[in-house]
Amino acid sequence: MPRKAGAIELDGVVVESLRNAVFRVELTNGHQVLAHISGKIRKNYIKIIPEDRVLVELSPYDLTRGRIIFRYRN
Amino acid sequence: MNSLLVSISRVAENQWHAVENDLVVGRGHASRRLDGRTFLSIDTWDDSVFDRLATAMLTDHGEPVYTVVDEGDRALTSGWERAGFTTWRREREYVVPTGPASAPIPAGVVITAAEEEPLRELDRALRAEIDWPTMPAEVLPWQGGSVPLDPSKYTVAKLHGQYVGLLRLATYTRQPRIGLIAVLASRQHQGIGRALLGQVLGDLHHAGTGSVAAEVNETNTAAIALFQGFQARHTNTNLELVHGKA
Repeated sequence: MPRKAGAIELDGVVVESLRNAVFRVELTNGHQVLAHISGKIRKNYIKIIPEDRVLVELSPYDLTRGRIIFRYRN
Repeated sequence: MNSLLVSISRVAENQWHAVENDLVVGRGHASRRLDGRTFLSIDTWDDSVFDRLATAMLTDHGEPVYTVVDEGDRALTSGWERAGFTTWRREREYVVPTGPASAPIPAGVVITAAEEEPLRELDRALRAEIDWPTMPAEVLPWQGGSVPLDPSKYTVAKLHGQYVGLLRLATYTRQPRIGLIAVLASRQHQGIGRALLGQVLGDLHHAGTGSVAAEVNETNTAAIALFQGFQARHTNTNLELVHGKA
């Protein structure tokens, strides 16, 4: 089974909804990243709003960017 | 990344992986909605991988297929457009502030909680007269089987004891969401939709909720005007893209 590239996944909290479908997320390690919504979440009409707790997959090319791959039930 | 070194494979009925050096560098997923339509999604950090996944998924799937993107996400939208997708519908997202109920209720109309049997009857009547493909995705007709109706999500307008309009409110997230407002064609333009919305916004305000989300098809000018009358703020637009639909 191949491993998942860029598999740095961290929990965080959405602190701001920015333009162009991008969110500012504060990770549990204190860093902030810019993250967009994964296609799978968007396809399922799951809405992300500030204060949501989310799981972010960081980009292997730029650790300041990520993709929201899960929204926790608060 | 050298995309020539990336191999694309279908790893499950509804999943595709792009693999490079034993690492998954892209994933594609297909899901069939309850209305029978198939929606695709792709997650990767590389455009060339996106293109190859899209090609593989379109080859494997019958048409038409759909996807959803945020209009502001130009990179993702461009990816799907490169794959031949075109815009099928546009849906605006609004945030509507709640406030004390202020909309007048037309004479003879009662705004109340819904009961299942008359609600189902109204739902059937509305589905017979509304252009449902323009309705929010969550209330599109099911393909086969009975339509699930949860009366606890609905507020209805009764006129002379008969249900003539409804409002569907989903409250499962921190921000409630209005999924649908509909009034029988014979009872439209009488302020019933406005009364329904005003009452629900008033109830939410009373319960301590500050705002509610709503989605409206961009061609539904009546609904847009209704929400704007309650100071709704347009926050976003989602595009539903389609491939292979004449």
